Amino acid sequence: MRILAGAIFLGIALFVFITPMLRLVWMSFRTEAGLGLGNYCKLMAQPRTSRAIVNTVVVAVGATLISVFLGAGSSFLVACTDVRRKRLVEMLTLAPFVIPSYITTLSWSSFLSRRGWVNRSLTVLGLPMLDVFSMGGIILVLGICNAPVVYLNTMHMLRRVPRELEWASLASGRGVWETFFRISLPQVMPALIAGGVLAFLAAIDNFSVPAFLGIPAGIPVLSTYIYENIIGFGPSSFNLAAALSVMLSVIAITGAFLQGRLIKKTSGMESIAEDRSVRVPLGCARGWVEGGAIFFLLTLTIVPLLAMVSSAFLPNYKNLALENITLKNFAFVFTNRGVRQAVVCSLQLASLTVLICLIAGTAIAWLRVRRGSAVIRIVEVSSMLTYAMPGIVLALSMIFHWTMFPGVYGTLRILLIAYVTRYLILQIKGSAAAVTAVNVSLEEAALVYGGGMVRVWVQVILPLIARSALASAFMIFAYSFTELTLSSILASAGARTVGLTVFSLQQAGDTHLSAAMSTVIVFAVLIFYLLSIVLRALGKRPRRKGAGEP
Amino acid sequence: MDLVISNISKKFGASHALQDVSAEIKSGEFIAILGPSGCGKTTLLRIIAGFIAPCSGEVLLSGSLLSSPSGGVPIQERNLGMVFQSLALWPHMTVRENIEYPLKSRRNRGMSRKARQEALEGAMTSTGMAQFANRLPGELSGGQRQRVALARAIVERPSLLLMDEPLSALDAELRVNMRREIQDIHRLTGATIVYVTHDQNEALAMADRVMIMRDGRIEQVASPREIYRRPETEFVATFVSKCNLLKGSWDGRNFSIAGVVFEVEPSDLPARRFIERGLFPVRPEDFCMTHGSGCESGGIEGQVANRQYNGRETHYKVRCGSELYTVYVPSGEDVFSLDEWVRLRLKVR
Repeated sequence: MRILAGAIFLGIALFVFITPMLRLVWMSFRTEAGLGLGNYCKLMAQPRTSRAIVNTVVVAVGATLISVFLGAGSSFLVACTDVRRKRLVEMLTLAPFVIPSYITTLSWSSFLSRRGWVNRSLTVLGLPMLDVFSMGGIILVLGICNAPVVYLNTMHMLRRVPRELEWASLASGRGVWETFFRISLPQVMPALIAGGVLAFLAAIDNFSVPAFLGIPAGIPVLSTYIYENIIGFGPSSFNLAAALSVMLSVIAITGAFLQGRLIKKTSGMESIAEDRSVRVPLGCARGWVEGGAIFFLLTLTIVPLLAMVSSAFLPNYKNLALENITLKNFAFVFTNRGVRQAVVCSLQLASLTVLICLIAGTAIAWLRVRRGSAVIRIVEVSSMLTYAMPGIVLALSMIFHWTMFPGVYGTLRILLIAYVTRYLILQIKGSAAAVTAVNVSLEEAALVYGGGMVRVWVQVILPLIARSALASAFMIFAYSFTELTLSSILASAGARTVGLTVFSLQQAGDTHLSAAMSTVIVFAVLIFYLLSIVLRALGKRPRRKGAGEP
Repeated sequence: MDLVISNISKKFGASHALQDVSAEIKSGEFIAILGPSGCGKTTLLRIIAGFIAPCSGEVLLSGSLLSSPSGGVPIQERNLGMVFQSLALWPHMTVRENIEYPLKSRRNRGMSRKARQEALEGAMTSTGMAQFANRLPGELSGGQRQRVALARAIVERPSLLLMDEPLSALDAELRVNMRREIQDIHRLTGATIVYVTHDQNEALAMADRVMIMRDGRIEQVASPREIYRRPETEFVATFVSKCNLLKGSWDGRNFSIAGVVFEVEPSDLPARRFIERGLFPVRPEDFCMTHGSGCESGGIEGQVANRQYNGRETHYKVRCGSELYTVYVPSGEDVFSLDEWVRLRLKVR
């Protein structure tokens, strides 16, 4: 009975997670003349392919360097130094994490638009204009978008470097800075590199930034090149796109594997308690460093956003001036039928995705932590693979796989399946961490005192893991509500998403409309995060009180 | 190179970690700071080292200011060696690199290559770590790691060695062996050693003088023998020598309790503080316990409440009225059973 259940479970998991990828690989080898390397040869013969590959590498490496600089820099300021307003520095660094990357892109394109005050000032000074629709623009925006990944990876590790290691170095006659570079930095190096690898992966995975900035400028990277091939509908375009996807996936999965190895190296530090004391006092430079860092981060994240918000109040081809201000763009956003449909659509998708992920992910997480059978391991690794794969590649494999079933492709269902396939691992990881934190004896005790499995779940497990599990669910909701990459390929006429609407408005040249819609999204996201913080704060108190009671 | 600690106070938030602590440590002395956890002993050591600044008071080394509320000598310019509780070996450096690290600092810039090499080899051979020079700390056993930490602390031949519970990470047997090595290092280097521990055996076994601390204050500073034989406060009496505090009244050399009078030898009279408060500290091994049955009188009457066999001796808890006394009876002497009525007298020395 148990073996049968395991086999069915394994079958479903392989069918959902693994077969789409295998089908993609198979499609990449299929040509009109049968199986072979024809598609790859054809791709290599096109100069655009090698340009896309080179661009991808240049963009990813450049963006990673920026992300590492920003992320490591502000994690150093927050974790080690005595600057004040650390919450503000952290919020400014993490802002691009909360805001969808296409909105950050839009904000930069309004900030550096030809009629924006930056470029007008540059022209007045006789300097060349800054063009965000360029390689440099793509690199900069991607670098800003992925900095939070590096920050989150290094900040907590820096706080975990044992103070005694540093004191031992000071007592050995070394100064504060020398101690930081010789002793503390090497301890967090694996985490920093792992963060860099994650930022690199996020850069090659990202579709929205090169789509918004690269497509108009004719700069292809692999993700947008795959997109162009898919929507190009040429005779063998799907197979060519599949071959490109295989190339991109090989890079991504190698990177993910490398990152996993690096994380293992730092695993010893996970259990060390964080120490928030000042490790590197800045002395009289503190005020300058603090002001400089906040000014710099404001310029990178908030000022462009404000430029976007202000452009949302302008009609096309007009400069910012009091008499030009209009609410027409917002009127469009709130009254347009297509926009309303997209919002309804994204809300439905996000809610269903969260619901499915929450139930399936928590169940899988519990089985993995408590039973840890081989089947569950395979399920986990499979769902990890679909997350590590670039979104555009996943989207393509979803088309190949789910067209077998009528009524899936071309409806909302394919998007729902794709979202769950992509985001399930986030819930598994979040819930698994929560279940691990619950001592198994609590469950056993409940069973011993005569609770059935249902009662144990309702009365013991769920109350204890609810907070952490819901945190992951919130994240998945935010991701899937604003998602663009998957929907750019999988959405159909009757089922457009919020992200796609912004994208097509921008592609059609309605920059101010897309800015207005993005402004609304940013406010929605902010309210959503505030709500989740308030909910979490409310959830904290009664649990503490009740913990000791029978 | 006398180390003078004068009127040091330290507050963390609202709690007093140290209150008006003063002490003088002579050059070349091995002083142990002993106390239960939270007594402020590690805070005091960290203030001497310079990792934290005191709220008031100062630390002087050979008459010059070392630590004070407004800073003092930067840590990197103090010539001191330190062994940390966690050992704090740098995991990414080999044994040699760990030990060599202090020698390559700015304060040793004037050192010749040869002198540096000699210092390194001296430290490695005296701790027996020469053969492990190229290993990483993660590849060493607990005792070996301990020796690397010691070697690193003594490689510069500092005049002041600070040790913060250096043996607490080791298992019981190794801890006893390492005591001897630390004593050897003290003899070899002639450095002043300030050694923080919560293990009274360690403190009594190694130190020239022991400083007992409680709740951020010094209770007593004296030689191990004096601490043990003549405690000056109730805390020292109970914490170090596990004394029973008998409550009665003193009349000259006579201590009376519950109608029983003990005549105490002049040399065994406790400190004034105890006499003033009508207390008499008696160590568990200084009781003489006899079976209470029979008509012989004298001694405090009590009943055996608990018995634990410990090999060399048996530990009894005896209930006398509302008090519970601890009595050690050497193995080979009479055995008492639970609930038996017994009599306690003072041993005649």
